[in-house]
Amino acid sequence: MIELDQRIAEQLTEVSLNSSIQVRCGTSNAFMVTASVLVPLLHSFEMGGVYISASRGATEMIEALEGLGLSTENIHFIDLVSSGFLGGTEVPHDNISFVDSPIMLESVLLRTLFHMRTTTNERNFVFLDSVNALAIYNESRMLAEYLHTFINTFRQRDVLTVILNVPDQTPPGVLANLDLYCTDMVDRGQVVIN
Amino acid sequence: MMQGPSYTRDRCVTGVHGLDEILRGGIPYGSTVLAAGTCGSGKTTLGMEFLVHGASTGEACAHFTATEPSVKLLENIRQYPFFDMNMVDGGLINVFDMDVLYSWLGLEKATFDLDDVHALIKSITDIVNTIGVTRLVIDSVTTLCYKIKSEQLIRDFLFTLGKKLATLGCTTILISEITSATENAHWSSFGVEEAICDGIIVMGDVERMGHLLRFLQVVKMRGTPHSRAKYTLELTPLGVMLTPMLKWGSTVDKTQGWGS
Repeated sequence: MIELDQRIAEQLTEVSLNSSIQVRCGTSNAFMVTASVLVPLLHSFEMGGVYISASRGATEMIEALEGLGLSTENIHFIDLVSSGFLGGTEVPHDNISFVDSPIMLESVLLRTLFHMRTTTNERNFVFLDSVNALAIYNESRMLAEYLHTFINTFRQRDVLTVILNVPDQTPPGVLANLDLYCTDMVDRGQVVIN
Repeated sequence: MMQGPSYTRDRCVTGVHGLDEILRGGIPYGSTVLAAGTCGSGKTTLGMEFLVHGASTGEACAHFTATEPSVKLLENIRQYPFFDMNMVDGGLINVFDMDVLYSWLGLEKATFDLDDVHALIKSITDIVNTIGVTRLVIDSVTTLCYKIKSEQLIRDFLFTLGKKLATLGCTTILISEITSATENAHWSSFGVEEAICDGIIVMGDVERMGHLLRFLQVVKMRGTPHSRAKYTLELTPLGVMLTPMLKWGSTVDKTQGWGS
């Protein structure tokens, strides 16, 4: 069982619904940081939302979160990975929708907006996992433009935006733009190895 | 500084997510709008959603289908949760097969002459007038115009039809099939529809690294200011949804090879 970072939960008490949080993590602590953000959002703030899964398949993410005892029934997953291989979309969960490729950025935005229109949750978040996964497929200028649109779209709708990224795997121009657009930062990008 | 009196035309709210914002409120009432698109671009869904929104506010709507039988059309469209079959059963959305209409009019022939065209206009406007239709979709005007051999006659048909429908207070979407929505393409199959209609909405695909993204662009709309940008279109269970297409991602068209 991993140990969650309680300081992240404390930091989250200071953000508002229309905030956009840049969450920086390292390659080895990405899941711990993700879980440390999601647990207080779901449990303490009783939020629901959309999890955009570009780093790994949504099924794998659901199983990892449920392994921590976290219920994912209030999260809709948009999976950008599993359509990349045949059979990847045959999954036992009904809270996953699939987008053909991480290059279809506007489709991801529209699918998220669609779920925001249909959800019954009063308070919602959108969790983008992750910028560096999107950067594998998308050119930097387009990705920077997309994040600008993405963050502003959800801020305007009072949806908390959480943008996960591994700084040393994110193009510098995109990272600089994230610093500009996001209202808050959770920085766990420097991993201390004991 | 003195300002002139401001006047804005009443709008027919389409109910299509994003489209009314693009049109600054909706289609000006009584307009005839050409929705020109490539296959699979979402034209029929857009047209049906336009009717569903009207029917949901109690307007009488009509859909003339020339590309597929009405039974097949309804079987396909009823899979969308936004579509309510009770609107058809209750007479708010009236679906007509063009083949049946041709049969009623004795127009079961390969080509139409001037008299045939006028008979067709009269029957469509009679239906609109009798039912009190305020929203009409013809899907597609391309299939219908294939039977009219002269460009002049097509122009006459569309101009007269549009004028009569506007007089009846009917806002009309004429769906047109085009083979390409590239920069150099015509917005219509016969090259005359685009000149006569009050508005043109183009729908097509942009290819991005091997994937097709649907787009919608309002090229022209008389009587209202509007955005002329390209919007990405997604077909969702709630119907069409639109978002501005990324500027850095809208330059590659499927006619151009990636990196060419």
